[in-house]
Parts: sequence; C-alpha cells; structure tokens
Amino acid sequence: MIIKKTVTALAEAVGASGSEKCAAELALSMLREYCPDAEIINGNVIGHFGTHKEGLPLLVLDAHIDQIGFIVTYITEEGFVKVGNIGGIDRRLLPAQTVVIHGKRDIKGVICSVPPHLTNGVSEVLEIDDVAIDTGMTKSELEKLVSAGDSITFDVTCRELIGSRITGGALDDRCGVASVLYALEILKEKPTAYNVTVIFSTQEEVGERGAKIGAFEVNPDIAIAVDVSFAYAIGEDESKCGYLGKGPMIGISPSLSREISDGLFVAAKNADIPYQTEVMNGLTSTNADRYSVNRCGAKTCTVSIPLRNMHTPVEVIDLADVESTAKLLAEFIRES
Amino acid sequence: MKELLKELCMADGVSGDESAVRELVISRIKDVCEYSVDNLGSVICFKKGKKTPEKKLMICAHMDEVGFIITYIRADGTLSFGNVGGIDPSVVIGRQVKVGRSRISGVVGSTAVHNLSKEQREKTPTTDSLYIDIGATDKAEAEKYVSIGDCAYFESEYTELGGSRIKSKALDDRAGCAMMIELMHCELDYDTYFVFNVQEEIGLRGAIASSYSVAPDYAIVLETTTAADIDGASGAKRVCEVGKGPVVSFMDRHTMYDKELYHLAFDIAKEKEIPCQTKTMIAGGNDAGAVHISGRGVHTMAVSLPCRYLHSPSCVIDYADLENSYKLVKTLIGRIHEI
Repeated sequence: MIIKKTVTALAEAVGASGSEKCAAELALSMLREYCPDAEIINGNVIGHFGTHKEGLPLLVLDAHIDQIGFIVTYITEEGFVKVGNIGGIDRRLLPAQTVVIHGKRDIKGVICSVPPHLTNGVSEVLEIDDVAIDTGMTKSELEKLVSAGDSITFDVTCRELIGSRITGGALDDRCGVASVLYALEILKEKPTAYNVTVIFSTQEEVGERGAKIGAFEVNPDIAIAVDVSFAYAIGEDESKCGYLGKGPMIGISPSLSREISDGLFVAAKNADIPYQTEVMNGLTSTNADRYSVNRCGAKTCTVSIPLRNMHTPVEVIDLADVESTAKLLAEFIRES
Repeated sequence: MKELLKELCMADGVSGDESAVRELVISRIKDVCEYSVDNLGSVICFKKGKKTPEKKLMICAHMDEVGFIITYIRADGTLSFGNVGGIDPSVVIGRQVKVGRSRISGVVGSTAVHNLSKEQREKTPTTDSLYIDIGATDKAEAEKYVSIGDCAYFESEYTELGGSRIKSKALDDRAGCAMMIELMHCELDYDTYFVFNVQEEIGLRGAIASSYSVAPDYAIVLETTTAADIDGASGAKRVCEVGKGPVVSFMDRHTMYDKELYHLAFDIAKEKEIPCQTKTMIAGGNDAGAVHISGRGVHTMAVSLPCRYLHSPSCVIDYADLENSYKLVKTLIGRIHEI
C-alpha cells in the first residue's frame, strides 16, 4: 500500500455527512483486502480483521468517513442554488470558492462573491443564508438534475507540497482512514493482543452520530478514535496545537482511558515512533466521546494526525505522520 | 476561440511577469502581422488590411492578471506576499496557489474555524495577516524553491459551467487577448494596430507607453467588467448582466468615453441584432484611462465582457458574450473609418 496514493484517493472521494456513499464504498473496497467480511451497515463501513479469538478483548479502530460540506435547500428563480451547511464551515473563505453539487450527476459551481461596489468596499462575511451557488444553469435546467437535500462539497484536487506534505480537502478524516488501513497492512498475518474490528463511521461532523450506532453494533471493550487535530500554524495558539511531522498526537483527557493513553505512550517509546501528547480537559469532540459511553462503557483513546487549516479546502498534513500513526496503532495492537 | 481562450487563461502572467502569456500570444500571431515587443513588454502588432485608412485605429487588451508577489520568507518557511492588483482577501484564504518559476504548489491557510472567536468568524482577515504555506519546514528549505520577488498565481481549473458559461482565473483579460488573436487571423478591410498590454492591473502602466508608441486616432479597448447579477442584487446594482451581450460604457472611474463611438456601437448592435448593454453604475476602469489621454487625445471606447467574480480565481463569463463582442468589434473596425 502506497500511503500517498491511498490518502489522495480517499481525500478526493466524495462524502459529506449523511451522503457518504462514494467515500464509504471506496474505503470498503480498500478495507476488504484486510477484512474480507467488511460491509456497510447503516452507513458505517464495518469489518473484522483476521480471525477473532475467544477470550481476547475487542478493540475498535475508528476513523470517520464523512466530510464537511453543504446541502441544497432551494433553487431561486434566477437559478442560484441556496444551501445549508453540513458541519463547521469557515464562512470567511466562501466567496468565489468552487464547489460540486452531487445531483443526478455532478455539477460544478462557484459560490457567489459580492463585488466591492455592493459592499461599500468593506467585505462582509457571508451568512449561510446568503450563500448562493452559480452553476451557469437556469432554474428549469437545474430542477432536472438537482433536488433539495443533495449534498455539495468543495471542488478540490490534492497536491503535493514540499517534502512529504500534501494539501487537499477532506483530509479530515480520510488520512485517518488511510492510517487505519496501513496499520492493518503492518499487522497482516501477525498475532494480535486484541480482536480488531474497524469502523469507518458516518456523520462525525454533525455530532458523531455514525459512531453512536457503530459502537452499539460492535460493542467494543476498547476503542481508538483515529482523527485529526490542530497542527500549529501562524494564527493558532501554539499551546493548543501539535506540530506537523512530529508524529501522532496521543490524547489524554478526563473522558479518555488513562490505561489506553499510557499503553500508546509505551508502544510509541518501544518502537521508537515519534509522538506528541494532546491534553484535553473534558470531551474530545471526536468519535471517542461516543465509544467511551457506549452500552456499558469502553476504554477509549484518541490518536490524532496533526493537520493545518482544518475544515477548509486547503487542509495540510505530513504523510510521515500518517505512517507514524499506523505504526503506533500496529505496535499497540500486536501481540508483544 | 474556446481552445485558444483556455490556453490563454491557463498561462500565468501576473503584472510585470507576463512573459509566459507574451510568448503564447507571439506564437499565435507571428505569421499574420508585423510585431514588436516594447521596453515594458507589451506586444505591438500591425496588421495590414485591404486599405490604408486616413485615421489610425488601435485595438488593445491586457495580458496581465492579478496575483501575488513573494516579499519575505519567514523563519518557519512560510511566505509573506503582497497582492499584485486589487484582490479581496476573502478570495485568497483557503485557496491553492502556484509559486515561483517552478510553479510549486502552496496554500493560503487560515486559523481553523474551531479556534476563532465569535467576532473573528465574522471578519475577513487582512491581506497582511495571510501567508503562503508550501510545506517547507524552515526558511532554508523554502529558499531552495522560492526567492523573494517570485510571483504566485491562483491555481484554478478552466471549467465550462452549464450550457455556455466558462469559469477560470485570468478571464480578465485573456478573453480580450483571445478576441484580438481571432481578429488578427481574419482579412481586415483596414490596416489596424493590435496591442497586447502589460501591467494594466497595477495602474494601466503598459497602455501609457504603448499608446504613446502607436499614437492612434481611435482606440477600442477589449476588456472584462464587473457583472453583479448575482443572488440578492437588484436594479442598478447589478451593473451589467452575464449573457446579455457586450458592455459598452459611457463612463467609468478613469474615462469619459467618446460619445460618437458609444452611439455607433449601439447603432451597429441594433442593426446586426447583437445584444448589447451598458453599465448601470459608474465603477471600475481599464486601459482606456491611459489610452484616451495619450498624446493629443484619442477617441476611445471600451467593449467589455460582463464577468462575475472578477479578480478571483473563479471568474465567470458567458461564451455567447464573447462571440457577440467579437462580432461587434469586427464590424466596428470597418465603421470607425467611415466616421
């Protein structure tokens, strides 16, 4: 498995929360190499790794398959498409952004940008209600292809930056999906200390809803939510960020299991894998929040890949971190 | 003309750095005219027609586009930049760019929305606070790929939207360049000068020098202009509308246009049944501002394509407007000499 290729293919797949089908099917096809029984259950991609043995604790590796985006709410008389947001959108960067409406077929469009003479020179940040998409089509042309409820994503092609860094949209959390797949690649044919089940879950960006039902379905003893977290960049608070290229961020939080956090630290040290510590003071705003209180509760931790410009079309990660994350997960899971 | 327009738009030519566009233009016109490149880099072409008129006519468009120039490389490997031409920061943040001669990829990032205060979420950052991230880990690594003074360009796909719309960067004013190249491949009734100008976006600099060199009696500036026919805009504030034909202006912030030429354009449009419109707000400006006060003064008009989201990576025009502008200008070339 070539990490760059996997991350890019996943990040360019389409799957706004609630409309994850394309991305989920791609992830499913990739997961089947390691989990032949993998299937999509109520939206979530779920697969069992290797042969589960009697008596071993069940560990879930989770990464969310959905991404932020928009949803069609209305088509105006002039043929502009009005939208609602799916997940946390930075409205400051919307003017003139290119998007794809996933109707009966994909339709490219541009978000209307208000020219300076209409704003008295002071550019105001658009309210979501004021966002309109220009597709170059009339209302009647659009009505044949687009319906209220269709999803919309930013139109982004991944690009390589210097070294092992790349930019793209939806790297949150497709790079997490890729790192889980790569962990399985490392673990292939090796004995593990846990029975491992993978869940690529839906609707994280709108409140971790896929993980809620996925956790119930699988009922793990231990869960690791593999997601992204803030990498330091100009404008960010350094004390609240990790750094690109310095390895996975292992979570510590009152809502997480210290036992699992400590186990991850030991694994990183044993295998000489670079890592960072991410301390949170309550909930984690990741799927971990759902796993920890599933059914009778699960020992849960977060492992996060540092990422810049979260929830923008120009997210940036270092592929070395994706690899280190996979190595850490594999080291933690393998039988020692 | 579509393929030509696409090729022109995909060439990168920020003001002062137009060489890639210039080379492309020259490769397309060298066999159909006499041409020279002036000291600023503008391409001045003379196209022989069937007749040599008494009055000299110049048609011009500009080759440059808005973009960025790298001003400083920070210790952390990020690049500070200045805008070249007027660009609103809201169309810069969250975009991919290409940097320097090797066109390496970079992004203009911004603080994650999760970490912004309520006030910050409602305020567009200033250009000064933005930077380009090329993935370098420090200054030394960045310096292997980028030097200060290098230009950066919007990364933007050329796409057709709907039935006849085109979305790209740099339609302002490669659309004008495309029309000129197309005209130069026709047999013209009269000798005509065609000028591909540099540095329009930073103050009509190229046109000042080239119109002095050509010293025309009449001039037609081919341009794009702000169409604000977007959701929520009504009446005069729409300025002009995409798909409603070429825009012929009577006045903008730089020019009072020649009245006779203004009326001539609408007369021809009526006669030839070409849709034609004017701007309903006094806004913007173009090379006409330099041309019409060149030397002893030049009878000047502008024929512009209505263009949405001007000066962004996603300009949108209607191809029908391009064809109609072309028809209008082609007729104007003959009729101006009958004045």
